[in-house]
Amino acid sequence: MGSGGHDIGRMLALDFQAKYYDRELLNLAAKESGLSEKIFEQNDEKKGFFRGLLNIGAPHMSSSGYKPGMTQETLFQFQSDAIRKAAKEGSCVFVGRCADYILRDFSNTVNIFITASLEYRIEQIMNKQHLDVEAAQKFIEQGEGKRADYYNYYTGKKWGSAESYDLCIDSSKLGLVETEKLIAQFIRKKFDL
Amino acid sequence: MQDNKQAALALGTKPVGQLLWQYALPAIVAMTASSLYNIIDRAMIGQVVGPEAIAGLGITFPFMNLSAAFGAAVGVGASTCISVKLGQKDYQTAEHLLGNTVTLNLVIGFLFMLVSLTFLDPILRFFGASDVTLPYAREFMIVILLGNMITHMYFGMNAVLRAVGKPKHAMYSVLFTVGMNIVLVVTFVWWFRWGIRGAALATITSQSMAMCWQLWLFSDKKELLHLKRGIYRLKKTLVRNIIAIGISPFLMNVTSCIIVIFMNNQFVRYGGDMAVGAYSIANSVVMVFFMFVMGVCQGMQPIVGYNYGAEKYDRMLRCLYMAIGCATAILLVGWGLSMLFPRQIARIFTTDATLLDLSARGIKLDMLVFFVVGSQATITNFFQSIGKVKVSIFLSLSRQLILLLPMAYVFPLMWGLDGVWYAMPISDFGSFAMTIPMLLWYMKKFKKR
Repeated sequence: MGSGGHDIGRMLALDFQAKYYDRELLNLAAKESGLSEKIFEQNDEKKGFFRGLLNIGAPHMSSSGYKPGMTQETLFQFQSDAIRKAAKEGSCVFVGRCADYILRDFSNTVNIFITASLEYRIEQIMNKQHLDVEAAQKFIEQGEGKRADYYNYYTGKKWGSAESYDLCIDSSKLGLVETEKLIAQFIRKKFDL
Repeated sequence: MQDNKQAALALGTKPVGQLLWQYALPAIVAMTASSLYNIIDRAMIGQVVGPEAIAGLGITFPFMNLSAAFGAAVGVGASTCISVKLGQKDYQTAEHLLGNTVTLNLVIGFLFMLVSLTFLDPILRFFGASDVTLPYAREFMIVILLGNMITHMYFGMNAVLRAVGKPKHAMYSVLFTVGMNIVLVVTFVWWFRWGIRGAALATITSQSMAMCWQLWLFSDKKELLHLKRGIYRLKKTLVRNIIAIGISPFLMNVTSCIIVIFMNNQFVRYGGDMAVGAYSIANSVVMVFFMFVMGVCQGMQPIVGYNYGAEKYDRMLRCLYMAIGCATAILLVGWGLSMLFPRQIARIFTTDATLLDLSARGIKLDMLVFFVVGSQATITNFFQSIGKVKVSIFLSLSRQLILLLPMAYVFPLMWGLDGVWYAMPISDFGSFAMTIPMLLWYMKKFKKR
């Protein structure tokens, strides 16, 4: 958070004339499923472990409890179907939401992890969210904690671990624009464009 | 996966009544089948072995629930994770999850068995066993505990069967165990006169048979997910996810257990073993109807959840009202039967005069306001289905913990044994009184949208 991943993603999308999917993904998933965008928003990149409770008073039965229901997992399924569909239709840039795992079978993908030093990120968040240093730091820690839980749960991998990505880069070293140019170069070289 | 999506979209379009019927029926069948099993067990024991035995059985009930709680934790956790992985076509991880489920069930089952057998007597005493009921409870539990791993595996495999899209098979194994158990209980207890041990053996044997069938299903190499070498090693990430998901149903089950343990103790204290026996009988009767309501709620969940997510609030509410209607109708039947024929119902379980009296009274009191539980349970479930977790936890707990426990503690101080009985209908009604305003307040919020 605060490393400018969204901005770089948008610039890359422009560069390669690809569709950009950040929160737009939620809209896509909503259309796919017939559900409202709001419910996808409420559960965006969150995995609450206490949300899926079963009933009291049905002890023997809770394990034979039959759940074709509406759970966070169902939402995730719809979202990932939407991602796959979009990826088949044309070039896309997906921000987060386990897209690297969901599209792992697609050969023409590049996975990029963008980070930055903690001080840089705190400063960015302070400006964007109008918070003081401590609040910004807490904002980052909690946000990333939630994102990591979500990612780790659905993919079985570790969020931010270098093995999941083709390229990991610190955006504060070269600044957003130059970082984007570097990434674009990497992509061109990888696909021989 | 395509028909999953079709099924999901249908939730928003097919007529609500039809959907409710479609989803609730299998759930109702599964749930009432199991409570029937309970009744047959207790009836056999009560008639053939005696009133003390039924009391002993009542003592063991929370113990069995505790064991089921562990099994459920793994079952629910693993099946949720497997569903996700299958949805992502990540078959390798799904297979490892299957293997891990088997291993976890065996390990946890074994540990549970070891600890429980070591401390069996003190545990049973804590649950309310007296000198008279202890031998029965012990005899029953030893067999159940020795077969604990089988029980866990059976429940676990059932959950996985659902996750891999074979809910019918899961239902068949439940129906099979119920049927087989009935046959065996009659054979072992009534014909062979093996006593309370016979009932335990009947349960474990029928579960083992079902488990063999399940394992055979999963051994089929043509199946997407089948048992093979190399999947049994426990993997930290998988286990962590299974437990993280499983902990919620686990805690709910444990809470249930604690309540029954407390109630059993209160009954022993104020009414002796006969009272515990009566409670155990009354409870079985209540359970049959309650399970029906649970089935309706399970059926309602996906419909309400989806339509809420799709902002089709009229459909959502219609489903809620239908579910409340169904649940209340059944409970009215139950209520009628209990008020008019309590002695006849108790007669199924025992011929002992004292126990008959106590049970008849107990059934009447327990079911006194039971028809409101229909709305209470359904509404609580409704809130859960739309994701209002805090409200639904509060309402669930209100019925059992917040109201029942303190009442069951205080009332007998004033009214003796009757006080313990009164606590039940009064807390039922109290939580109903809390649920209705919550629903109304929530409806108001909806109207504003």
